[in-house]
Amino acid sequence: MVSPQSDEDLVLKTLGGEEEAFSLLYDRYRQRIHSTVYRIIQDAAEAQDATQEVFIKLYRSLCDWNPQKAKFSTWLYRMAANHAIDCWRSRRRRRESQPAEVGDREAFPEQPISDAILTPFGALEKKESIEQIRRCVDDLPELQKKVFLLRYFQDMKLEEIAEMEDCSLGTVKTSLFRATHSVRRAVRRGGGSR
Amino acid sequence: MKRPVSRHYTEEELLMHYLHEESPEIGVEISNHMLECDECTAVFMEYGDLVETIQAWAVPPLPQEVWQSQKAVLAAQYRADLAAGGRKGIISSLQKSLLTAWNYALENPLPTLAYIAVAVAFALERTISTFRLDRILPGASEVYEILRQVL
Repeated sequence: MVSPQSDEDLVLKTLGGEEEAFSLLYDRYRQRIHSTVYRIIQDAAEAQDATQEVFIKLYRSLCDWNPQKAKFSTWLYRMAANHAIDCWRSRRRRRESQPAEVGDREAFPEQPISDAILTPFGALEKKESIEQIRRCVDDLPELQKKVFLLRYFQDMKLEEIAEMEDCSLGTVKTSLFRATHSVRRAVRRGGGSR
Repeated sequence: MKRPVSRHYTEEELLMHYLHEESPEIGVEISNHMLECDECTAVFMEYGDLVETIQAWAVPPLPQEVWQSQKAVLAAQYRADLAAGGRKGIISSLQKSLLTAWNYALENPLPTLAYIAVAVAFALERTISTFRLDRILPGASEVYEILRQVL
């Protein structure tokens, strides 16, 4: 049985010009990067483009990655989150400078809900709650948004996020709490709480 | 019936406890406290439900063809960048060297000035002797001599 290659090996091979190694890195991380990017930008087409841009940025700056400072995945998620926030900012600026269009809702396609929580009675309520969460996350300050998404969806520990963001663990904990608290309020306002 | 307790934990502490983000000692304290406190247990449960709801926010999956075409675009871009890489490599290593030198100069201004002075003196001497400036500009050697003594 062939053991999977470590991220470090693939990075070294990519730097050495092995296209196959870069393809493996892409296959390994594309889904997770796309999820992070999508939840920040909240637009299907732009999230797709941003994911591609993250991978171009990735191999162009691979030599800047220092394994002693951060895990490869941490470094990559940071790059993805920062890039997505840049895209989200310009998207927001564009939206603010243009009058609202009827077609705007197309930017937010139907949100699928995990099968585990789909019950005949709870499905609609959950769907509404998730809509409230989505809207609330869109309005969160940047650090709160990043901490919220990386902790809840990438399973990163808060200590890792603090290191990645170069701030104290206390700041990250407070950011996560504030973000979660805002979401809780939003869900309650929307009548989605149990 | 659980006993009422005097000190309740904050919502932030309870959320961190749910996420196992507190120190193990505090974790044990909170767990013990919750055995006796209905109020904190209720808040803890509410945050638990909320986190579960948050994590149910799934992203619409991209079709396989999209991933494939994106992969092909990236591979082509990677090859193109690799082809242009040689030239870029020289430029980027030059940039890195300049940046290192600049950082050194900022951290050690006096030795840097001394290096610059030696380099200028050397260049001046070379310029005068190579182009025989002392013939064209009488006094150039004297100027150089004065500079050399000063430096």
